[in-house]
Amino acid sequence: MRESVILRYVGAVMLCVSAFMLVSAGISYMNNVDSGFYPLLLSALLTFTLGGFPLLFVPRAKSISNKEGFTIVVGSWVLASVVGMFPYLIWGGEFSLVNAWFESVSGFTATGATILNDIERLPQGLLFYRITTNWIGGVGVVMFSLVILPSLGTSKMALSNVELSSLAKDNYQYRTQVIVRILLVVYVGLTMITTLSLKLAGLRWFDALTHAMSACATAGFSTKNSSIAFYDNVAVEAILAAAMLISSLHFGLIYATFLRKGNNIFRSEVVRTYLAIIVVAIVLVTISIFSAGVYPTIWEALRYSYFQVISLMTSTGYATADTNMWTPFAIIILIFVSIVCACAGSTSGGMKIDRLLIFCKILWARILRQQHPNAIIRIRVDGVAQDADMLNSVVVFIVTYIALILFATVNNTLFGQDLMTAFSSTVACIGNVGPGFGAVGSMGNFADIPAILKLQNSFLMLMGRLEIFGFIQLFFLKWWR
Amino acid sequence: MKGIGKRVTVGFLGIVVLLFASGIISLFELSNLSNDTEDILAASRRNMEIANDMLHSVQEHSQAMLHIAVFDPQADRDVYRRAMGDLDGKVAAARSEAVDATRLDSLSMSVLRLREISEQFVFSSAIGNIDIPLMAVPSSEDGATASSQRGKAWYENDYKPAYDNVVEQIQSYMTHTHSSLAPRAEQLSKNAYRSVAPVFISLVVMIAIVLMFYYFVMFYGVNPILKINRSLSDFLTYRLPFNVKAELLDELKEVVDNIEKLIGLSKQNR
Repeated sequence: MRESVILRYVGAVMLCVSAFMLVSAGISYMNNVDSGFYPLLLSALLTFTLGGFPLLFVPRAKSISNKEGFTIVVGSWVLASVVGMFPYLIWGGEFSLVNAWFESVSGFTATGATILNDIERLPQGLLFYRITTNWIGGVGVVMFSLVILPSLGTSKMALSNVELSSLAKDNYQYRTQVIVRILLVVYVGLTMITTLSLKLAGLRWFDALTHAMSACATAGFSTKNSSIAFYDNVAVEAILAAAMLISSLHFGLIYATFLRKGNNIFRSEVVRTYLAIIVVAIVLVTISIFSAGVYPTIWEALRYSYFQVISLMTSTGYATADTNMWTPFAIIILIFVSIVCACAGSTSGGMKIDRLLIFCKILWARILRQQHPNAIIRIRVDGVAQDADMLNSVVVFIVTYIALILFATVNNTLFGQDLMTAFSSTVACIGNVGPGFGAVGSMGNFADIPAILKLQNSFLMLMGRLEIFGFIQLFFLKWWR
Repeated sequence: MKGIGKRVTVGFLGIVVLLFASGIISLFELSNLSNDTEDILAASRRNMEIANDMLHSVQEHSQAMLHIAVFDPQADRDVYRRAMGDLDGKVAAARSEAVDATRLDSLSMSVLRLREISEQFVFSSAIGNIDIPLMAVPSSEDGATASSQRGKAWYENDYKPAYDNVVEQIQSYMTHTHSSLAPRAEQLSKNAYRSVAPVFISLVVMIAIVLMFYYFVMFYGVNPILKINRSLSDFLTYRLPFNVKAELLDELKEVVDNIEKLIGLSKQNR
């Protein structure tokens, strides 16, 4: 393992983060040099120096090993979160050291959970910066750097191999350069279209841009205390729901669909399963909350239920209603979609629908094998047979994911949290969803939970974003030899 | 960038720029903190002064009215009018400086009520038509005493409640302005560390950079030199092949290349 090479590429990611800090400082400057200007400017300078220093000494690597790639990706996320704290810490307000770390990790992992009681008090530049952490975190800090740092050259392959989950790579039937281009086109294009649509729906340019960035990252940071409920606008909700839904599909498939290729979203078994689950969840939640009298008309129930289901299933976490007031059945459905989440190869977090589909097929195969012990049963997704390694990794991932949720829930209750808050906050953090239920509900925040649990939750966010095993590896000495 | 010298210079310049910027921003934050503290103190002092002046004016007004009503109906009206003018002026000043002027509405209303009562009394006494509770005044008294008694009764029954109301409103204004300054002061104390934060964070970053600098200097500077020296010694002592296994940058790479050329030349000359 070449530490200097790792430092160089993590440094490149820091440069990318510092560029976004500088843009945010520019917005602060344009907003009559608001109180966010100097914190953002100094943070940009610090991050630039920290990131640029290794580039000064370490020459460009001709190749990067898979192990180095892993370390660069995980290190980038952790260090981006560390330097991401600087503007918050320097600005002050509600940002203590733990709060700033939580907010930064939540931003870069595109979780969208917040510790802020009064988001609207933040200066505009800092609000914009907060959203940009979502945006660059949504598509992956490293993938973003790959897009804007052409000097990385042939090393892109190793990094993108690590950045994309093995499930996501299956659908990218292109070379690395093309994958990077696909991400750029789909992500930026989608953000621009959503911004324009929100503007047409009546939002200010600033609100339209920030919410578009957050929705396309399926992250969930808002510039308003009451999230999307602030606007109480059906058109805005519909546009954001569409943006969240599209962003939660495999980007490669979206690209292929626009190019009218065969392997597109309409033919994908995973996407069909995903959409079917969303429709069923919306219908069940609507019926449940309407029959319980939470809303007077079925249309109103449908309006709030479709938005909340899409928001949680895409791991965004926007809110238009206080879901704590909904029926226990509706809450269970919402927790289920928060665990499963969306497609691999998208900006969303969670367990991923691809894994759930494979897991169900493994279960079905097991039942069939008991009936026909000598039968050779192949598990296929979109007609492609999955090898034993892939099946094994899916099962191990799901088991580990559930085990982590249970472990963290027990730990949360140890610090005095009620069961609903303890469980749902863990699900929300490891799945990079954002809001849970109970004290951390859609209209609440993580401000009042103990500092130790904020650290635990930020740790879970990183684990969830890096698909657990990528993160765990770093803690083994053998990895570094 | 090529050249070890250039890399080291740029590295050190980076650290200097960083230190300078964090120092400047820290100074700026400190001056902001100092200004905010001064603002709060000045606002508090000003509120106290205004409230004190208001109390003084209303007291002066009260004394003048008491004098007119009880002792000398023909006394100079300028004293009470001046006191009322002062009070109006102070209320206007308080309104102009208040964050939320609507909070002073009830004070303005009570001052207005005091003015109405006083003007009405002065006007009535001037035309000899004082409509005050005469039931309280014994009919057998002579004219002067009766007038004095009427004035006293007016002062007690009409003026005093209005006066008390104004005093109460001024006290309420004092309490409110102080309580409204408290959150600002609290916010200030919470954010006091902001002036230190840039320096503290810069310090942490600087430590990280210095550690990196140490690592790079060792990795790309010192270690290669040691390895070159060892390899050269091995060559000279044992005639082992000159082979440097290290990451070589810029001039050090040239040094190794030149040594290899030199060894090649010496082999040719032999």
